[in-house]
Amino acid sequence: MKISASQEDFSRGLRVAGRAVAARSPLPITTNVLLSTDDGRLKIAATNLDIAISTWIDATVAEEGAITLPSKLLSEFVDTLPNAPIDLSVKQGSQSAHVSSGRYEANIRGMAADDFPIIPTATEQPAATIQASLLKEMIEQVVFATAVDDTRPILTGVLSTFSGTELTLAAADGFRLAMRKGELAEASSGDFSVIVPSRTLAELARVVPDGDAIVEITVTPNRNQVVFRTTDLHVVSRLIEGAYPNLKQIIPTKFSTKVVVSTGDLLKATKIASFFSRDNSNAITLEIQPGGEAGVGNVVISGAAAELGEDRGEIDAVVNGGSAKVQFNSRYVSDVLGAVQSSQVGLEISGPNSAAVFKPIDSVDYTHVIMPMHTGAR
Amino acid sequence: MDARQGPGETPDLSREPPSSPELTSVARPGGFPERAILHLDLDAFYSSVEQRDNPRLRGKPVIVGGDPDRRGVVATASYEARRFGIRSGLPAVTARRLCPQAVFIAPRFGVYRAVSETVMEVLQRLSPTLERIAYDEAFVDVSDRVRAWLDADSLGKSVKRDIHGAVGLTASIGIAANKITAKVASDHQKPNGLTIVASGEEARFLAPLTVRKLWGIGPRAEARLATEGIERAEQLAAASAEWIVARFGHQGLEWQALARGVDSRPVASGEKRRQISREETFAEDLNDIDSLCAALKRMSDGVISDMRTYPPARTLTVKIRYANFTTITRQISPGTVMTAQSVPDHARHVFMDHWDGRPVRLLGVALSNFVEDAPGQLKLF
Repeated sequence: MKISASQEDFSRGLRVAGRAVAARSPLPITTNVLLSTDDGRLKIAATNLDIAISTWIDATVAEEGAITLPSKLLSEFVDTLPNAPIDLSVKQGSQSAHVSSGRYEANIRGMAADDFPIIPTATEQPAATIQASLLKEMIEQVVFATAVDDTRPILTGVLSTFSGTELTLAAADGFRLAMRKGELAEASSGDFSVIVPSRTLAELARVVPDGDAIVEITVTPNRNQVVFRTTDLHVVSRLIEGAYPNLKQIIPTKFSTKVVVSTGDLLKATKIASFFSRDNSNAITLEIQPGGEAGVGNVVISGAAAELGEDRGEIDAVVNGGSAKVQFNSRYVSDVLGAVQSSQVGLEISGPNSAAVFKPIDSVDYTHVIMPMHTGAR
Repeated sequence: MDARQGPGETPDLSREPPSSPELTSVARPGGFPERAILHLDLDAFYSSVEQRDNPRLRGKPVIVGGDPDRRGVVATASYEARRFGIRSGLPAVTARRLCPQAVFIAPRFGVYRAVSETVMEVLQRLSPTLERIAYDEAFVDVSDRVRAWLDADSLGKSVKRDIHGAVGLTASIGIAANKITAKVASDHQKPNGLTIVASGEEARFLAPLTVRKLWGIGPRAEARLATEGIERAEQLAAASAEWIVARFGHQGLEWQALARGVDSRPVASGEKRRQISREETFAEDLNDIDSLCAALKRMSDGVISDMRTYPPARTLTVKIRYANFTTITRQISPGTVMTAQSVPDHARHVFMDHWDGRPVRLLGVALSNFVEDAPGQLKLF
């Protein structure tokens, strides 16, 4: 094997594939990346057996071949080299690569490419396609709401529902729920839902190219794997099996008080209150006061912990309905405010113990539900 | 039943609970779209504990209670004794007359209390919403775990297994959409029963029972109902509201709701929550540090996942049981409340400070000493 590639491309390719490298593994080869020549390009692939990422970079291929090399060492070396072409060669039958650039060179010992786990590929027609930048935005708006622990494995995934020309991503951890709808580039072939591990989507959002690139989404016929594909990137992941909770029953449709506030103002007040509520289970209180005739009310956001003290922040609000008082986990509130992407946010409340709905005011595509905290006096 | 076990031989209590052929539902499969309540009742609790601890008592009529020579009463009679018509509350002297060969034993409440604590800990793993009615009886709100009939079936079986594993006793379980039905269901196939009544099937399930079987209808209410010819739940359920109110007042409507299997009372976890815990008995004793730390991490994660619905805890306890069954518990109260970040660290430190390197049979991590009156996160679903 003998190739040459730019330091910039090589470094980027290793960084992208490196997201799927196993940190520690009983199968040592999975801490390596697989380098192979592929139709005039260099393919860099890695897998931790849950997720696999393959990416292709431009390269001058002088001699075909393949090898696996330790991901960490190779990335560190390539990242630090000057911005100049890098030559990589592997002697026939050798399991060691010679990597050189200008006045630097290294011999890096690896393992045979044949021993690398087989990464599944999708040969079928894609089930749906979507613009990469939109998919990335959608993922970032929901993925943080997935469960972090494995008590209910289904909730560690994102419910991805393809219906006609629409994709809906939904994530929930039992305490909150985030749901985002988006337009597919091409209508999906049939309506279906799959549950994709949140880690897969988080990595996908990180490595997918910005801009107009189109992502093809394919589900394997046995329904246990999904492949996200662009011209120079494949992300393959297992799917989570099981039945996702019925979200229609969870999202409130009625409310008694609706507030519209500046997203930035509420975020700042939440952040300040969170400092004071840190030792009080992160509970912050929102008190909503309707305005008089002018219609401008306010929201007072406060945090308190017995040993520390308390704070009070007031922001303007357009309030429909009566006054209300509700407690939330400050982190849940800052998470949603960081995700809404609009300068103003609507908050629909129906009581101190009922789920509250956050929505950007300029879009119907995003819905976020947060369950309040109880006051502790029970 | 184990084929080797002949009649008259005592059951081996260290084994799995014998599966009874009646371990099936009386209602058709259906679900629990709103609530699912589990009621557990240990079978002949006190006398079962005595039979468990003293093999010579197994298979014999055992009566735990007061001294028959000193006007004591029966607290619990074993199933063998019940065949002679002996029931709780009967004067012990009458019991002796009914069954002269019965073995009378003075209650050991300390032991029962400890066994009860262990049983409640097993139940509390299902949900913090637990209402303990007696040493041997509790309701647990399992709505989060049970939607389909099959969920209830597998949950009920696993609870019975866990309790048998933990204390060597059998229990009868009822699972239904509300408390009244769950309570009646647990009594339906005693001992060692599991009765599941799907939502919507309550009235049909209760219909053939005598009104006295309905939890909340005592002997006096039974007598009053009997004066109007009402003996079975279906009669009470079918009566018109006017008829009932005219004869029994508004209380009659409450009785009727019971007979119809309508009950919206929540499971009231009045008791202070004592701890959130996870523990694991290993298939093989462990003494390599990596496996032990991995197990500790698993348990810390489990505890963390429960943490959000509890008030903040100040104390973390690590339990280590060595291969020879010596058990130590060591705790830390660092002065700040436990967080998802600090739990694994504290658990590891406490473990490393106190583990003496011998093979470990069981590890546990628990949080306790809760800050009461602290806000808690409500569940969305």
